[in-house]
Amino acid sequence: MFHFQSFDDDCTLEEEEGLVEEEDEIDQFNDDTFGAGAIDDDWQEEHARLAELDELVRDEVHGEGDPSSVDLPLSGSDAQSSAPLPPSSSSRLYPSIDERGGGDLAESLTHLILGSDPAIAGVGAASSDRSLRPLMLSGQTPQPSGLAGQSSLLLNYQQQQRVLHRGPAPLSQINSHSIWENSMGFSPVSSGLLAQKEDKTLMSIIKEVGLPNRPPALSREEGRDLSERVPPPRSSSPVIGSPPVRAVPIGTPPKQPMSHVHNQQNNHPSAIHVRASMPMRYPPPFPDRLSPNNLRSIASSQLTHPPFPGVGPVLSQIQRAQLLNSQFQRGPAPPLFQGGVGGFRPFFGQSGPRLGPHGPPLGHAPIRHNTTHLHPQHRRMLNQRMQNRGMGDHVSGRGVGDRRNRDPYSNLMTQREKEWVARIQMMQLQSTDPYLDDYYYQNYYEKMEKRQERDRDTRKEHTTKLITPQVAKLEHTYRPVQFAGSLGKLTVSSVNNPRKMIDAVVTTRTDDEEKREKQVWNKRRQILYTVEKMYSLLLEVQDFEKKFLQTPEHQRDALLEQHKAHTVQLYNSLREKEWDDRVSDEQCLMIMSVRKGKRLISRLLPFLPQPQAAAVVMGIARNLPALAKKDKQDQVLCWLVKPVTAVIQCLSSTSLTDLLQELQGREGQLPLVLQNKFGVTLLYLILSEGERMQSSDPNCQLMDDNRWTELVFSVTRELLKVPSSALSSPLFTPPNLVSLFSRYVDRQRLELLQEKLQITALTR
Amino acid sequence: MNYMPGTASLIEDIDKKHLVLLRDGRTLIGILRSIDQFANLVLHQTVERIHVGKKFGDIPRGIFVVRGENVVLLGEVDLDKECDQILQRVSIEEILEEQRTEQQAKQESERLKLQAVKERGLSIPKADTLDDF
Repeated sequence: MFHFQSFDDDCTLEEEEGLVEEEDEIDQFNDDTFGAGAIDDDWQEEHARLAELDELVRDEVHGEGDPSSVDLPLSGSDAQSSAPLPPSSSSRLYPSIDERGGGDLAESLTHLILGSDPAIAGVGAASSDRSLRPLMLSGQTPQPSGLAGQSSLLLNYQQQQRVLHRGPAPLSQINSHSIWENSMGFSPVSSGLLAQKEDKTLMSIIKEVGLPNRPPALSREEGRDLSERVPPPRSSSPVIGSPPVRAVPIGTPPKQPMSHVHNQQNNHPSAIHVRASMPMRYPPPFPDRLSPNNLRSIASSQLTHPPFPGVGPVLSQIQRAQLLNSQFQRGPAPPLFQGGVGGFRPFFGQSGPRLGPHGPPLGHAPIRHNTTHLHPQHRRMLNQRMQNRGMGDHVSGRGVGDRRNRDPYSNLMTQREKEWVARIQMMQLQSTDPYLDDYYYQNYYEKMEKRQERDRDTRKEHTTKLITPQVAKLEHTYRPVQFAGSLGKLTVSSVNNPRKMIDAVVTTRTDDEEKREKQVWNKRRQILYTVEKMYSLLLEVQDFEKKFLQTPEHQRDALLEQHKAHTVQLYNSLREKEWDDRVSDEQCLMIMSVRKGKRLISRLLPFLPQPQAAAVVMGIARNLPALAKKDKQDQVLCWLVKPVTAVIQCLSSTSLTDLLQELQGREGQLPLVLQNKFGVTLLYLILSEGERMQSSDPNCQLMDDNRWTELVFSVTRELLKVPSSALSSPLFTPPNLVSLFSRYVDRQRLELLQEKLQITALTR
Repeated sequence: MNYMPGTASLIEDIDKKHLVLLRDGRTLIGILRSIDQFANLVLHQTVERIHVGKKFGDIPRGIFVVRGENVVLLGEVDLDKECDQILQRVSIEEILEEQRTEQQAKQESERLKLQAVKERGLSIPKADTLDDF
């Protein structure tokens, strides 16, 4: 009760410009609906007051009553009230009630209420305190004649309290609203003083009195009332995207249309408010769903009494209501309630109840024409089968029908429901491609058809071609509900669109950016492609030996040829232009820019003939800085060490010198080389090779020109110049470097070099 | 009335007496009143029949609503043939007693088997009570 009020407060907050009246309406409405009057904050005071009054009365009966004491509790609860009830009237009021005792309380109060009804009506529509007060005042001074005045006082007082606590309360509402509104006015009295039982009689009285000025408002309030009880409607828009809104979920069987019921009730204000007795929202349709008792009684009643209005068997209230409501559905029914407390008079109007259960008609019912497309052969067979059954069952069918007739519970499942289930099951049989969905079925019947054709080829009319109509394939593209410019996404979710968890937004790049990116990617892809192709060749070449051993003698030549061809292809792939015999630097570089490519080259080198291999190594040395830069991420250049070593060891002195020269290449290349591990390793390799050459072969041509010496000098110079930090440690340090350097540099420098190299050697 | 020619459907079985075997082993006999697309059943005047050996006992249950997925099989009961039965009908208490004894005997034999197996050093994994998977 309380929290509903707060709920309402929130609601009213929304509609800031809501009428004051509306506010009150809501308030009152809530009070009515959820409790006898809902005198939430008042009741305690009320109770206290009344309790005191009780005592007071008792005191008064025994002795002198203190008017002032009566006064106090009365006015205490209402600080604003400046016109306290005169003690005389009040004391007179209450004793009148008290004296009669509990049993008569109801009666007296009903009299009060009834008597005061016009008084209340007369109090008027205005929501002003002023109207109340003068009335009260006026009520005070002339002795209130009869109960009417007293009751009006009392009620006015109540109203005033109510009003002052909750704002102006239009009293006209009492008459214009439903019984709940009325009871609001009455029930504070009743709840304060009466027991539960009396309450009910009041209600019945109210019912009886009727509510002539009933709504329009009723439907609104009913709707509102319903809406407060019923969970909020599912938030799926029927218009956009989501599956069609269904008031009932998809799985529920069909019901008879209900709307008429409510309309009828609304249109006939004299209708008894069913809510008081029991909520009957979905009365079962007549006659399909009447309980067997009803059916029997109706049947019997129908048979025994002629149907005309006003006369009918006395059915229980439920049955009457059922009948009534079903009558509403059947057609326009005149108002049926003619007073009488809680009495329904069933009206057997035009639509007499349909007696007899729906026995399934036997025999000659047509096969359903619906979306299931049976093979024509199949259909024919079924027809025949049914006919046979129809013939045969005529005799026994009666018995079955009899039994069915006697079974009072039969046909609980209506025809509609059966059809509904059948329809759902048929939906599964729809197929867009019968040959795909039910191949064997189609084939079976085709064969049967052909067989029949063969057997009785006289009947030409049966040679119908199979036409399997197909259900069109519907593209169910589903678009979720979207509102333009809304902040964030909607949280509307349904069967088709479960809640979106991740909001993945596609970021479109600008054109040239994309082009660039594309180019880069394309190139990379191209390189990878080349590498892949080369790999396949390489693998062939590598496996050659194995294969060679395995193939028999006569095939070995062929294999050799193949091998040669492969290797040739491999070299060719390294060349850029066909006519140029040299290994293309660019190509190599391109390949080496990819990790895979480096690996490839390292595996490829041993298979290349010397000149090509040398050329490759030259190319590597030449472009080492670039390679080093590209290799930063992968750090796999060192794969090349082994094969390169092998190559170097086969190099001639001139080529070695060339190589060293290449390595030094441009200005500033050497330091970069030195920074790279592979570079340092390569350098050392070259130097050690040179040293080996010199030391091993006295006639080596290494010293023929000064190039080698010069180069070594520059190397040593660089080595000394370069800080240790910029000197990367090689994979390994060849041992003969010291001897090499000792040839070319003086002692001091040698020592320095040694130190450096040793350092580097230590930090291997 | 041919609702679903060429298909299996329960619509024509409505208002007929059926025997339904459930997944938990129970046997229900009742008049099929209503169905839906999942083959959920509404059985009227249902009786749960317990079979032990050659005896059986009926427990009247009233109205049953059975979820379709729990049905193993169901079939129409021929009312003529129902009368002549080899099985002997006993009271509910008796049949329940019989069932209890049977269960105990089965458990005992199970236990002995398990023990024997354990003695031989083998182990048989126990089947789960829910044999769904």
